[in-house]
Amino acid sequence: MEQKGSSWDVVEQALGLGQMEEEGLPWALGVVLIEDRVETDASFLLHQLLKRSLSSNPSNTIIFLAFSHPFSHYDRILRKLGCNLVVHRENNRLVFLDMRLLQCPDGDEGKTRESGLVALYGKIRKTIHALPDDKKNFVIIMIDDVSLMEVAANGSLDHILDFLHYCHTLTAEFKCSLVMLNHEDIYSNMERPTFILDMEYLADVLIKAEPLVTGLATDVHGQLMVLTNKICHGQGSSRNKKHNFHFRVKENRVEYFYPGSRT
Amino acid sequence: MARTNPRTSSFSRNLSSAPSSQSPGLKCGPNGTVVVSSGIPDLDKILGGGFPLGSLVMVMEDAEAPHHMLLLRNFMSQGLVHNQPLLYASPSKDPRGFLGTLPSPASSKDDKSRDREPEQEKGLRIAWQYKKYFGENQNNFDGNRDCSHQYCNDFDLRKPLERQFLSGQHVDCVSIQDSPNLDTIRDRCATFLNKLSRNDGSITSAGRIAIQSFCAPQCKYSNMEWDMLSFIRFLKSMIQSANAIAVLTFPPSLLSPSFSKRLQHMADTLLSVRAIPDEDKDMAKLLTGYQDMVGLLNVHKVARINTQVPLILEATTFSIKLQKHRFLVLECLNQAPVDGSSGTSYSKSSSCSGSSKTGTLDF
Amino acid sequence: MAESICRTLRNGRLEGEHAAALTIKDTIASPFGFDVFNHVLSQLSSFILAGKSQSRGVVVVAFTRSPSFYVDLLKRRGIDVDASKKWIRILDCYTDPVGWKDMLIECGSLSQEASTTARLCKDVRDLDKMCSSIVELGNGLIGQVKGHFSVAIDSVSVMLRHASMTSIADLLNNLRGHDQVSSIFWLLHSELHEVRVTAVLEYMSSMVASLEPLNCSANGQRSELERVSLLGPKGKFHVRLKRRNGRVRVMYEEFYLEHSGINFTSLSSEDGLVYQGLVPKVQFNLQLSEKERDDRAKVVLPFEHQGIGKPIQIYDGRKSLTESVNEATAVSTETLQTAGDSSNGEIIYFRDSDDEMPDSDEDPDDDLDI
Repeated sequence: MEQKGSSWDVVEQALGLGQMEEEGLPWALGVVLIEDRVETDASFLLHQLLKRSLSSNPSNTIIFLAFSHPFSHYDRILRKLGCNLVVHRENNRLVFLDMRLLQCPDGDEGKTRESGLVALYGKIRKTIHALPDDKKNFVIIMIDDVSLMEVAANGSLDHILDFLHYCHTLTAEFKCSLVMLNHEDIYSNMERPTFILDMEYLADVLIKAEPLVTGLATDVHGQLMVLTNKICHGQGSSRNKKHNFHFRVKENRVEYFYPGSRT
Repeated sequence: MARTNPRTSSFSRNLSSAPSSQSPGLKCGPNGTVVVSSGIPDLDKILGGGFPLGSLVMVMEDAEAPHHMLLLRNFMSQGLVHNQPLLYASPSKDPRGFLGTLPSPASSKDDKSRDREPEQEKGLRIAWQYKKYFGENQNNFDGNRDCSHQYCNDFDLRKPLERQFLSGQHVDCVSIQDSPNLDTIRDRCATFLNKLSRNDGSITSAGRIAIQSFCAPQCKYSNMEWDMLSFIRFLKSMIQSANAIAVLTFPPSLLSPSFSKRLQHMADTLLSVRAIPDEDKDMAKLLTGYQDMVGLLNVHKVARINTQVPLILEATTFSIKLQKHRFLVLECLNQAPVDGSSGTSYSKSSSCSGSSKTGTLDF
Repeated sequence: MAESICRTLRNGRLEGEHAAALTIKDTIASPFGFDVFNHVLSQLSSFILAGKSQSRGVVVVAFTRSPSFYVDLLKRRGIDVDASKKWIRILDCYTDPVGWKDMLIECGSLSQEASTTARLCKDVRDLDKMCSSIVELGNGLIGQVKGHFSVAIDSVSVMLRHASMTSIADLLNNLRGHDQVSSIFWLLHSELHEVRVTAVLEYMSSMVASLEPLNCSANGQRSELERVSLLGPKGKFHVRLKRRNGRVRVMYEEFYLEHSGINFTSLSSEDGLVYQGLVPKVQFNLQLSEKERDDRAKVVLPFEHQGIGKPIQIYDGRKSLTESVNEATAVSTETLQTAGDSSNGEIIYFRDSDDEMPDSDEDPDDDLDI
């Protein structure tokens, strides 16, 4: 257990989570954007944040929009991390929305196209409204794959950006956080990768996962860059900091370490 | 809390014995998944057992070589041999004709022994201290091989599959060439998968979907990128909740880079095949066994179902060889004689417990 | 120099001219445009409060932050917000830009809250309405009295997502030309748009402030990690100020971010470089003055033979092309070599050890016996 704490600590510190919790504050992370690539899957960060948020503060509520995997997948993974999603779901601390079959109709009428996303936003908002007042500020919205959301919206990026904007208004209104995962390499070949740039401008924290230059290795699975560009909370500010870590994913935890600090 | 973890993983391992006794085509993989064979024994070993049910396998084609067809053929034949339902879609006029080219399992025992040979050869390269581990592994592996005797067959590419396997009701073929959109194949997949939906624990059979050259330019929908993506997304989510596995090949060179990347992200297991230059003297010098090689196979991503741990292979590039012009064999590329560990990488990944990696990483 | 921008915005417009307009543009490599925007906004606000500026109020068109954010921001910067009702209005394009909330209200699921300083804009695609809203809000600030107000748009980039370039240019031009508008400034994330869009907006403004990372990689290639500001919260602040007399002032500053806000320091070393881009490509002056011609004649060029009358005997190290000259050069080299032998001794140098690099700090020659 000791080890477990210490290795996640570095990322936690980078995000300033511990400090917020000590002060009894919600996770005012704002918008966290996680970017990964085909070679390096960063979904483990979602698992970690999910686990961390469910186990640390009993007020936290997660709204999880699952576009890529079913509940059973996350349940199994989180169980290995020592967190029972079924129980949390029953206690309404986890609102798991399976979005794998969401398809915004491709009608000729502009209205219908966005209606699926509007309804989804409405659902999120309603969920937050239904919470007791003291928990309203402790909501974390997670999206496990924004690129699949684009597919669901049939490629109308503007509607996705609108959706994300409305989620952003929730972070302003309720101080909740939005954590989302997207794949950087999809856009890196574009001449003007507007969508991912838009998302990066929206994000307060940017986490990039990349493979090591030397390729995959068994003891280092990749590197992370955490950029807390705009995050500011309380007095102590971790504004504009950049952190680099190497990581190694295991079933029951993820080890983070500074480059070169392992023997 | 960390203490509970070994128990969960052992829980999944216990499960593993259950269905394999029920049907020969299924085996328990890591993390409570059930795997089916790819039809290529070596590929199964590389992937840690086979293709997990509920996953989407994508093969990136080479524009110049039809190696993806080899993978598809073996995959389909293996399913038919196991009497598993099959849906085959291809961008040709008569997809059913392709069934005639499927290979038949090699029957005789002496054929089986031949693919053991190279591994023993590799065994000789291992320092004697480690030999006992290797022997152990191999025994294990042999045991596996014996108990799931029919889990994975060797296919003789020269011998066509017997008619009896093809005549069954459960073979379905679709042409995706002429349909103006993806509705047809979508509906066919949906009806096919509905029969296989996952109700409770007992899995008796698994369906296989093979889609060849999904984005081929002759398909009328091939410029409708978002429609294709949403079809794959739909397929993926259907498969996730069914006892089925889909293998889909596509030509990445014909697609825009970002679209191709999107597809790659959607794949659970991602492979690619590549041609090798003919009569390339340099390459012949560089690689052992160049003469037998027909192409290269790359493993980009291995399905990560119910787990967050990536399976890191010691080698990701394998040579595709046709042994005796009959059998499809994958071997580690041996670039230099130093690289003698290729044999162990096989046996390591073939032990199918989820925590197999933790042990080997310690040194 | 950030100061001078704020001063120009404060001074506002001259009668008969367009309002002063500022484009703040940034890139993802240096994404601190919003901080500059906030800085300018709070500077201008304090000018307004002190009664020093031409405008008597400011209308903020908020796309990327909620109205309460701006109120908090000004409060944090120590600006009297209680009086804010008199001098600030916010057109809230943030809360419900495309009317989704409205759609949901119709479904009866949500309730709405009202505010005094802010006005909700439910359809940002309708720029005509937006324009009249801005003017209305501005007029509401200054009352019946003839006066001026400023406009701040916190992201033209978001506007561009919802409306066409031409309609936005139209809106901005209308605002600049409006009698009551004293100054206007907006933020643009230039990488999100085509080059033309940036050019249009720069054309329409009287000042352009751009933020660049400190060490711009010369070839413009971006490694994936470098793409995002690695250099910390610092950067170059580059201002082009179109002055009324037709001149363009170009200034560089360095900025760094602190928790309290953005800070600027002048960058003197760059001064020489500053004007380079502006200097037109002049032709060479082919005529020389008398004195220049004399001076030139006096210069003994290094390749000229400096002896008097003697034939040239310097080996140039190259073989001449023609045979006849070849012989002559061969002779000259010989004489040169014999001269060299007589004057110089032989140099024998032993390196102290193999570890010592030939280029080590100590002078390798100082222990030589010449």
